[in-house]
Amino acid sequence: MLNILVVDDSMIMRRNIKKYLTSLGHNIIGEAQNGEEAILFCQENNPDLITMDISMSGISGIEVVQKIKELNSDFSIIMITAYGKNSLVKEALQSGAKGYILKPVSEENLYESIGKIYPKYSNTTK
Amino acid sequence: MNDEEKVIHTYTKDVLLPIIKRVKTYLYDEMNIDVFNTSEITCPKNIHLKKNTVMIGTTGSIKLIITLGFDEELLNKMVETFLDGENISEFDLSEVRDSVACEVTNTIIGNAIDNPIDNSDIYITPPVLVCSAKTLNKEKNSKFAFITFITKYGEIELTAVGPKEQFENELKFIEN
Repeated sequence: MLNILVVDDSMIMRRNIKKYLTSLGHNIIGEAQNGEEAILFCQENNPDLITMDISMSGISGIEVVQKIKELNSDFSIIMITAYGKNSLVKEALQSGAKGYILKPVSEENLYESIGKIYPKYSNTTK
Repeated sequence: MNDEEKVIHTYTKDVLLPIIKRVKTYLYDEMNIDVFNTSEITCPKNIHLKKNTVMIGTTGSIKLIITLGFDEELLNKMVETFLDGENISEFDLSEVRDSVACEVTNTIIGNAIDNPIDNSDIYITPPVLVCSAKTLNKEKNSKFAFITFITKYGEIELTAVGPKEQFENELKFIEN
Protein backbone atom coordinates (compact mmCIF):
# COMPACT_ATOMS: atom_id res chain seq x y z
CA MET A 1 0.00 0.00 0.00
CA LEU A 2 1.38 3.38 -1.02
CA ASN A 3 0.74 6.64 0.83
CA ILE A 4 -0.30 9.08 -1.86
CA LEU A 5 -0.78 12.84 -2.23
CA VAL A 6 -3.21 13.93 -4.99
CA VAL A 7 -2.59 17.37 -6.49
CA ASP A 8 -5.12 18.80 -8.93
CA ASP A 9 -7.02 22.06 -9.23
CA SER A 10 -10.08 20.22 -10.52
CA MET A 11 -12.41 19.06 -7.77
CA ILE A 12 -13.88 16.22 -9.82
CA MET A 13 -10.42 14.98 -10.77
CA ARG A 14 -9.21 14.93 -7.17
CA ARG A 15 -12.37 13.08 -6.24
CA ASN A 16 -12.06 10.46 -8.98
CA ILE A 17 -8.30 9.94 -8.68
CA LYS A 18 -8.71 9.37 -4.93
CA LYS A 19 -11.52 6.90 -5.62
CA TYR A 20 -9.43 4.95 -8.17
CA LEU A 21 -6.34 4.86 -5.95
CA THR A 22 -8.35 3.73 -2.93
CA SER A 23 -9.92 1.03 -5.06
CA LEU A 24 -6.40 -0.11 -6.00
CA GLY A 25 -5.64 -0.53 -2.31
CA HIS A 26 -3.61 2.62 -1.71
CA ASN A 27 -3.90 5.17 1.07
CA ILE A 28 -4.63 8.83 0.33
CA ILE A 29 -2.72 10.84 2.91
CA GLY A 30 -3.51 14.25 1.46
CA GLU A 31 -4.85 16.32 -1.37
CA ALA A 32 -3.87 19.73 -2.68
CA GLN A 33 -5.65 21.97 -5.13
CA ASN A 34 -2.59 23.99 -6.13
CA GLY A 35 1.18 23.92 -6.14
CA GLU A 36 1.62 25.96 -2.98
CA GLU A 37 -0.49 23.53 -0.96
CA ALA A 38 1.43 20.59 -2.42
CA ILE A 39 4.82 22.05 -1.48
CA LEU A 40 3.62 22.84 2.06
CA PHE A 41 2.31 19.30 2.42
CA CYS A 42 5.62 17.80 1.27
CA GLN A 43 7.58 19.93 3.74
CA GLU A 44 5.80 18.16 6.57
CA ASN A 45 4.94 14.74 5.13
CA ASN A 46 6.62 12.02 3.14
CA PRO A 47 4.20 10.60 0.58
CA ASP A 48 5.43 7.54 -1.32
CA LEU A 49 3.83 8.89 -4.46
CA ILE A 50 2.37 12.16 -5.72
CA THR A 51 -0.06 12.49 -8.63
CA MET A 52 0.20 15.99 -10.05
CA ASP A 53 -1.80 17.90 -12.65
CA ILE A 54 0.71 19.44 -15.05
CA SER A 55 -1.33 22.57 -15.71
CA MET A 56 -2.69 24.41 -12.69
CA SER A 57 -3.46 27.99 -11.83
CA GLY A 58 -0.60 29.69 -9.98
CA ILE A 59 2.60 27.66 -9.86
CA SER A 60 2.67 25.21 -12.76
CA GLY A 61 2.96 21.49 -12.15
CA ILE A 62 6.50 21.49 -13.55
CA GLU A 63 7.68 24.19 -11.12
CA VAL A 64 6.07 22.24 -8.29
CA VAL A 65 7.96 19.10 -9.33
CA GLN A 66 11.23 21.02 -9.23
CA LYS A 67 10.52 22.48 -5.79
CA ILE A 68 9.34 19.16 -4.36
CA LYS A 69 12.40 17.36 -5.72
CA GLU A 70 14.57 19.99 -4.01
CA LEU A 71 12.88 19.07 -0.72
CA ASN A 72 13.46 15.37 -1.24
CA SER A 73 14.81 13.91 -4.47
CA ASP A 74 13.30 10.51 -3.58
CA PHE A 75 9.69 11.67 -4.00
CA SER A 76 7.99 9.77 -6.82
CA ILE A 77 5.74 11.92 -8.97
CA ILE A 78 3.32 10.97 -11.75
CA MET A 79 2.19 13.87 -13.93
CA ILE A 80 -1.39 14.05 -15.21
CA THR A 81 -1.87 15.96 -18.45
CA ALA A 82 -4.45 16.64 -21.15
CA TYR A 83 -1.78 17.58 -23.70
CA GLY A 84 -1.44 14.98 -26.41
CA LYS A 85 1.27 16.76 -28.37
CA ASN A 86 3.44 18.94 -26.25
CA SER A 87 6.96 19.13 -24.83
CA LEU A 88 5.59 19.85 -21.33
CA VAL A 89 5.61 16.15 -20.53
CA LYS A 90 9.26 15.83 -21.58
CA GLU A 91 10.08 18.86 -19.45
CA ALA A 92 8.28 17.34 -16.46
CA LEU A 93 10.20 14.08 -16.82
CA GLN A 94 13.48 15.99 -17.10
CA SER A 95 12.53 17.83 -13.90
CA GLY A 96 12.26 14.56 -12.05
CA ALA A 97 8.76 13.20 -12.57
CA LYS A 98 8.80 9.42 -12.93
CA GLY A 99 5.87 9.01 -15.27
CA TYR A 100 2.82 10.60 -16.80
CA ILE A 101 -0.79 9.83 -17.59
CA LEU A 102 -2.64 11.33 -20.53
CA LYS A 103 -6.20 12.33 -19.63
CA PRO A 104 -8.82 10.97 -19.34
CA VAL A 105 -7.58 9.28 -16.16
CA SER A 106 -8.85 5.81 -15.39
CA GLU A 107 -8.20 3.22 -12.70
CA GLU A 108 -6.40 1.17 -15.34
CA ASN A 109 -3.92 3.83 -16.43
CA LEU A 110 -3.19 4.74 -12.80
CA TYR A 111 -2.55 1.07 -12.09
CA GLU A 112 -0.17 0.77 -15.06
CA SER A 113 1.74 3.95 -14.21
CA ILE A 114 2.18 2.97 -10.57
CA GLY A 115 3.30 -0.51 -11.64
CA LYS A 116 6.07 0.98 -13.76
CA ILE A 117 7.47 2.84 -10.75
CA TYR A 118 6.69 0.20 -8.15
CA PRO A 119 6.73 -3.18 -9.95
CA LYS A 120 5.47 -4.99 -6.86
CA TYR A 121 2.11 -3.26 -7.38
CA SER A 122 1.79 -4.43 -10.96
CA ASN A 123 0.67 -7.96 -10.02
CA THR A 124 -1.41 -7.44 -6.95
CA THR A 125 -4.84 -5.88 -6.75
CA LYS A 126 -5.70 -6.18 -10.46
CA MET B 1 -14.20 30.53 -53.15
CA ASN B 2 -14.82 33.79 -51.27
CA ASP B 3 -12.76 34.91 -48.29
CA GLU B 4 -15.34 33.75 -45.74
CA GLU B 5 -15.33 30.23 -47.14
CA LYS B 6 -11.54 30.18 -47.18
CA VAL B 7 -11.45 31.10 -43.49
CA ILE B 8 -13.85 28.28 -42.73
CA HIS B 9 -11.70 25.87 -44.69
CA THR B 10 -8.52 26.93 -42.89
CA TYR B 11 -10.11 26.67 -39.46
CA THR B 12 -11.55 23.30 -40.33
CA LYS B 13 -8.46 21.78 -41.78
CA ASP B 14 -5.83 23.05 -39.42
CA VAL B 15 -7.25 23.70 -35.99
CA LEU B 16 -10.83 22.62 -35.57
CA LEU B 17 -10.93 19.23 -37.26
CA PRO B 18 -8.91 17.45 -34.53
CA ILE B 19 -11.11 19.10 -31.89
CA ILE B 20 -14.32 18.15 -33.71
CA LYS B 21 -13.10 14.58 -33.96
CA ARG B 22 -12.11 14.48 -30.28
CA VAL B 23 -15.48 15.82 -29.12
CA LYS B 24 -17.10 12.84 -30.82
CA THR B 25 -14.62 10.19 -29.67
CA TYR B 26 -14.53 11.53 -26.11
CA LEU B 27 -18.32 11.48 -25.80
CA TYR B 28 -18.54 8.01 -27.29
CA ASP B 29 -15.59 6.39 -25.51
CA GLU B 30 -15.84 8.04 -22.11
CA MET B 31 -19.52 8.93 -21.76
CA ASN B 32 -21.18 6.35 -23.99
CA ILE B 33 -22.91 9.19 -25.82
CA ASP B 34 -23.30 9.06 -29.58
CA VAL B 35 -23.10 12.27 -31.61
CA PHE B 36 -25.61 11.53 -34.32
CA ASN B 37 -25.34 14.82 -36.17
CA THR B 38 -22.74 17.55 -36.54
CA SER B 39 -23.61 20.89 -38.11
CA GLU B 40 -21.79 22.62 -40.91
CA ILE B 41 -19.11 25.04 -39.74
CA THR B 42 -20.38 28.59 -39.92
CA CYS B 43 -18.84 32.01 -39.33
CA PRO B 44 -21.67 33.97 -37.66
CA LYS B 45 -21.51 37.65 -36.77
CA ASN B 46 -22.51 36.97 -33.18
CA ILE B 47 -22.76 33.96 -30.93
CA HIS B 48 -25.03 33.38 -27.96
CA LEU B 49 -23.18 31.20 -25.46
CA LYS B 50 -25.10 28.56 -23.55
CA LYS B 51 -25.41 28.79 -19.78
CA ASN B 52 -22.93 25.94 -19.25
CA THR B 53 -20.08 27.19 -21.43
CA VAL B 54 -16.39 26.74 -20.70
CA MET B 55 -13.74 28.97 -22.27
CA ILE B 56 -10.12 28.03 -22.88
CA GLY B 57 -7.46 30.21 -24.48
CA THR B 58 -4.51 28.99 -26.49
CA THR B 59 -1.09 30.59 -26.38
CA GLY B 60 1.89 30.20 -28.65
CA SER B 61 1.83 30.83 -32.38
CA ILE B 62 -1.94 30.19 -32.55
CA LYS B 63 -4.01 32.47 -30.38
CA LEU B 64 -7.63 31.44 -30.05
CA ILE B 65 -10.42 31.39 -27.54
CA ILE B 66 -12.22 28.08 -27.77
CA THR B 67 -15.50 27.43 -26.01
CA LEU B 68 -17.60 24.35 -25.45
CA GLY B 69 -21.19 24.91 -24.33
CA PHE B 70 -23.31 22.06 -22.94
CA ASP B 71 -27.06 21.65 -22.75
CA GLU B 72 -28.32 21.01 -19.24
CA GLU B 73 -29.42 17.41 -19.77
CA LEU B 74 -26.16 16.50 -21.49
CA LEU B 75 -24.11 17.97 -18.66
CA ASN B 76 -26.24 16.05 -16.16
CA LYS B 77 -25.52 12.85 -18.07
CA MET B 78 -21.77 13.56 -17.99
CA VAL B 79 -21.92 14.30 -14.25
CA GLU B 80 -23.72 10.98 -13.73
CA THR B 81 -20.91 9.17 -15.58
CA PHE B 82 -18.19 10.95 -13.63
CA LEU B 83 -19.85 10.14 -10.31
CA ASP B 84 -20.43 6.51 -11.35
CA GLY B 85 -23.40 5.97 -9.05
CA GLU B 86 -21.98 7.84 -6.08
CA ASN B 87 -24.52 9.97 -4.24
CA ILE B 88 -23.64 13.54 -3.40
CA SER B 89 -25.50 16.33 -1.65
CA GLU B 90 -27.38 19.06 -3.52
CA PHE B 91 -24.87 21.47 -2.02
CA ASP B 92 -21.94 19.67 -3.68
CA LEU B 93 -23.75 19.02 -6.96
CA SER B 94 -23.36 22.54 -8.30
CA GLU B 95 -19.60 22.48 -7.76
CA VAL B 96 -19.35 19.01 -9.29
CA ARG B 97 -21.29 20.12 -12.38
CA ASP B 98 -19.00 23.12 -12.92
CA SER B 99 -15.94 20.97 -12.36
CA VAL B 100 -17.11 18.29 -14.82
CA ALA B 101 -17.85 20.89 -17.53
CA CYS B 102 -14.35 22.36 -17.09
CA GLU B 103 -12.64 18.98 -16.95
CA VAL B 104 -14.36 17.64 -20.07
CA THR B 105 -13.46 20.79 -22.00
CA ASN B 106 -9.87 20.75 -20.76
CA THR B 107 -9.43 17.11 -21.73
CA ILE B 108 -10.98 17.47 -25.20
CA ILE B 109 -9.09 20.63 -26.16
CA GLY B 110 -5.82 19.50 -24.53
CA ASN B 111 -5.93 16.11 -26.24
CA ALA B 112 -6.71 17.60 -29.64
CA ILE B 113 -4.89 20.92 -29.87
CA ASP B 114 -2.20 20.89 -32.49
CA ASN B 115 -0.07 23.44 -34.28
CA PRO B 116 -0.30 23.30 -38.05
CA ILE B 117 1.83 26.42 -38.53
CA ASP B 118 5.28 25.62 -37.19
CA ASN B 119 4.87 22.61 -34.87
CA SER B 120 5.88 24.72 -31.87
CA ASP B 121 4.05 24.00 -28.61
CA ILE B 122 0.56 25.37 -28.11
CA TYR B 123 -0.42 25.77 -24.46
CA ILE B 124 -3.92 26.11 -23.13
CA THR B 125 -5.09 28.25 -20.25
CA PRO B 126 -6.96 26.73 -17.32
CA PRO B 127 -10.67 26.45 -18.19
CA VAL B 128 -13.06 29.23 -17.19
CA LEU B 129 -16.78 28.65 -16.76
CA VAL B 130 -19.19 31.28 -18.11
CA CYS B 131 -21.75 31.53 -15.32
CA SER B 132 -24.61 33.08 -17.24
CA ALA B 133 -25.57 33.25 -20.90
CA LYS B 134 -23.57 35.79 -22.92
CA THR B 135 -23.70 37.06 -26.46
CA LEU B 136 -20.40 37.60 -28.26
CA ASN B 137 -20.49 40.11 -31.10
CA LYS B 138 -17.90 39.88 -33.84
CA GLU B 139 -15.63 42.87 -34.12
CA LYS B 140 -14.19 43.74 -37.54
CA ASN B 141 -10.79 42.24 -36.74
CA SER B 142 -12.06 38.97 -35.32
CA LYS B 143 -13.48 35.75 -36.74
CA PHE B 144 -15.87 33.21 -35.27
CA ALA B 145 -16.21 29.59 -36.25
CA PHE B 146 -19.19 27.70 -34.86
CA ILE B 147 -20.19 24.03 -34.86
CA THR B 148 -23.05 22.20 -33.14
CA PHE B 149 -22.98 18.53 -32.11
CA ILE B 150 -26.31 16.85 -31.53
CA THR B 151 -26.83 13.95 -29.11
CA LYS B 152 -29.91 12.34 -27.60
CA TYR B 153 -29.25 14.36 -24.41
CA GLY B 154 -28.96 17.72 -26.17
CA GLU B 155 -26.32 19.76 -27.91
CA ILE B 156 -22.72 20.79 -27.52
CA GLU B 157 -21.67 24.02 -29.19
CA LEU B 158 -18.06 24.54 -30.19
CA THR B 159 -16.88 28.07 -30.89
CA ALA B 160 -13.46 29.33 -31.90
CA VAL B 161 -12.70 33.04 -31.76
CA GLY B 162 -9.52 34.50 -33.14
CA PRO B 163 -8.03 37.62 -34.64
CA LYS B 164 -8.78 37.85 -38.33
CA GLU B 165 -5.19 38.82 -39.17
CA GLN B 166 -3.79 35.71 -37.59
CA PHE B 167 -5.72 33.47 -39.90
CA GLU B 168 -5.00 35.57 -42.96
CA ASN B 169 -1.28 36.01 -42.40
CA GLU B 170 -0.08 32.98 -40.53
CA LEU B 171 -2.32 30.40 -42.13
CA LYS B 172 -1.91 32.05 -45.54
CA PHE B 173 -5.40 31.24 -46.67
CA ILE B 174 -5.41 34.18 -49.10
CA GLU B 175 -2.39 32.88 -50.97
CA ASN B 176 -3.78 29.36 -51.00
